[in-house]
Amino acid sequence: MQEGIGEVKIRIPRTISKGEIIRVQALIKHPMETGLREDKETKEKIPAHYIHDVSIYYGDTMITHCDWTIAISTDPLITFYLKADRSAPLKIIWKDNKGGVYQETVQINPQ
Amino acid sequence: MEQKRDDIVFSRRRFLKMAGTTCASLLITESLLSFPSSTSAAEEKFKKEVAEGENINDTLKRLFGSRKIEIANVDLKAPIIAENGAVIPITVISDLPMDKDNYVKKIYILVEGNLKPHIATIDLASVNGKAEFAMRIKMRKSSNVRAIVETNGGKLYGDIKPVKVTIGGCGGL
Repeated sequence: MQEGIGEVKIRIPRTISKGEIIRVQALIKHPMETGLREDKETKEKIPAHYIHDVSIYYGDTMITHCDWTIAISTDPLITFYLKADRSAPLKIIWKDNKGGVYQETVQINPQ
Repeated sequence: MEQKRDDIVFSRRRFLKMAGTTCASLLITESLLSFPSSTSAAEEKFKKEVAEGENINDTLKRLFGSRKIEIANVDLKAPIIAENGAVIPITVISDLPMDKDNYVKKIYILVEGNLKPHIATIDLASVNGKAEFAMRIKMRKSSNVRAIVETNGGKLYGDIKPVKVTIGGCGGL
């Protein structure tokens, strides 16, 4: 098991003007195990462990949603855009196939 | 003059020697490769999985039926050569409008060389303000990557890019 699984980093611009389209980057630590790999020593298959669902909320509305399969890289990094037209929290929720749920919220405060 | 001839003879001799060694080593490697290895069971299973995997045309048919996909308005950015198939950054950019009434609803990412070509779907909303999304994907081998964009009106646009992978990304074989 990888250390620090579910550790999240979200990057937004330092200053946001109202109505600006901002770039948001979100990184989560996750092994994204495909289930096809095998342990080099024991020759046993490593069970699949990957994020299959990412939901992004701005305030109460879901703005972006990802349906993923095993073919997403380890420590998934996503970049998306957002029209910052009001002060609201930006919440990102990651769910994996083993029932793990990781979430992080940042406040969007346009000036 | 004499000296020169000697040189020629020597180089010819050396060439023959070298050629002989190369041929022999090639033969040895080949015979080694053809030996049944301990991974044959895994190989068998893998082949089965490949057989069960989906063909890109079947995937397209399953997702979009007979709807027409226009190659326009979408730009898929992907490396021409990827050194590591486990981490390939891709960016899908569309210049389609993102208004309340007219927006990009979905982005589909398909990798032709993967066992299951349809690897990701991204739902967008007009609040995004810009139809652009970037992430990092895994590819098993060199193949085409397709990005297909669906608008809320049900129109389909796409882009296709070949990516050469030097080391496969799904692990194992």
